[in-house]
Amino acid sequence: MDALIEKLKKQIIEQLNLAEVNPDEVSADSPLFGEGLGLDSIDALELIVLLEKHYGIKIEDPKDGKVIFQSLRTMAEYIKAQGKG
Amino acid sequence: MTKAYINGISCISAQNTIDDSWFFDSITPANGDYFSAIEPSYKDHIAPNLIRRMGRAIKMGVTTANLAIIHADAKKVDAIITGTGLGCFEDSERFLLAMLDNNEQFLTPTSFIQSTHNTVGSQIALIMKCHDYNFTYVHRGFSFESCVLDALMLFEEGKETILVGGIDEHTPNFVTLNRRAHKLELQDTTKPIHQSTSNGVQLSEGSAFFLLSKYKSDKSIAAIEGIKTLYKPKTSEDIFEKLTAFLKLHNLTLSDIDVTLMGFCGNQHFDKYLNDLLPKLTTDTAIASFKNLCGEFYTASAFAMWVATKLIQKQQLPQSIVIAGSEPKHIKYVLVINQYGGVNYSFMLVSQC
Repeated sequence: MDALIEKLKKQIIEQLNLAEVNPDEVSADSPLFGEGLGLDSIDALELIVLLEKHYGIKIEDPKDGKVIFQSLRTMAEYIKAQGKG
Repeated sequence: MTKAYINGISCISAQNTIDDSWFFDSITPANGDYFSAIEPSYKDHIAPNLIRRMGRAIKMGVTTANLAIIHADAKKVDAIITGTGLGCFEDSERFLLAMLDNNEQFLTPTSFIQSTHNTVGSQIALIMKCHDYNFTYVHRGFSFESCVLDALMLFEEGKETILVGGIDEHTPNFVTLNRRAHKLELQDTTKPIHQSTSNGVQLSEGSAFFLLSKYKSDKSIAAIEGIKTLYKPKTSEDIFEKLTAFLKLHNLTLSDIDVTLMGFCGNQHFDKYLNDLLPKLTTDTAIASFKNLCGEFYTASAFAMWVATKLIQKQQLPQSIVIAGSEPKHIKYVLVINQYGGVNYSFMLVSQC
């Protein structure tokens, strides 16, 4: 799980061009939206594409995103649950 | 038509124009057949959460717009008018390449959203929280000129403070494609640009913004008296006739012009009419060029207006841009005669105020 979280962290930083963010300062449980990384709705769309492109997971209902994209850990857990991690 | 007072200016170009103290010293040469803009550290001008989504055109535009507003000490603007020939080309390219690379799958929204031509104007409006008039002109070599014309007409309609700017960026792919189309050529810098015998130009990029006001204030640096565009003039005599009429409209003749800034681009075919005009102008005014410093791009005329404003502000004509005529004792009127691609010709008249 930890390896997947690290991999996700790097992919998110690259995809969202978070050049100012130090990967070591992003914890697995800190919120991705609002506080924490401070992502917004456009980033949510980027994350949906990221999951599809890199893990072959298609989120059919956007409402599910609220739960899946809470933190790096919830994302990683979701990927594992889909048998893709 | 109402004149517009220039209260704030800022420019990013192939020269170190972002440094307000730069005045045609330490000239930076081109990278062969193209120039790249000398860009500042954007972190000093734009919030980090906004920078991460911005392409270079947006960063250049937002930074220069912000600095022009700061220089003018303006609290609000009534209109934001931007001009661009290519728009946010980097993001357009990124989006299209992603489409190709991923077989039209997995397209992300950011580069698409940021790729539209009006992104610069809209980002400025969002940052300034300006809900007023916001327009972007994409008229190839008339893009910036259209902004100025629109601003002058808006002043007549009652607007008082208007932000006007021209922005264009290039990318490595764009340079390569232009090179393949034989549109670019290394210039012989030992000769003045108007004597160039080349068949190409030195491609470039940049952004220049102007905070214009209907009223003169202690911040006013210069004034825009008027503007005129000519599309595909048939002869150089036609251009001269229109120029004389343009000056007459402002109760001036050529002998009143202290400096004429001419948009020689280095392509001998595109520069032909301007070269034909030269003998008719040199007896009365000092002639200077500007594309030997900024290169050629759709909105290079915005750089020319920045130069015109600086000459009036400093009351000096640097030797690095003079190509003919004698140095004026006083710089009251600067005339910009630009051409793009031998198709788009324009006159812009800037005065001391």
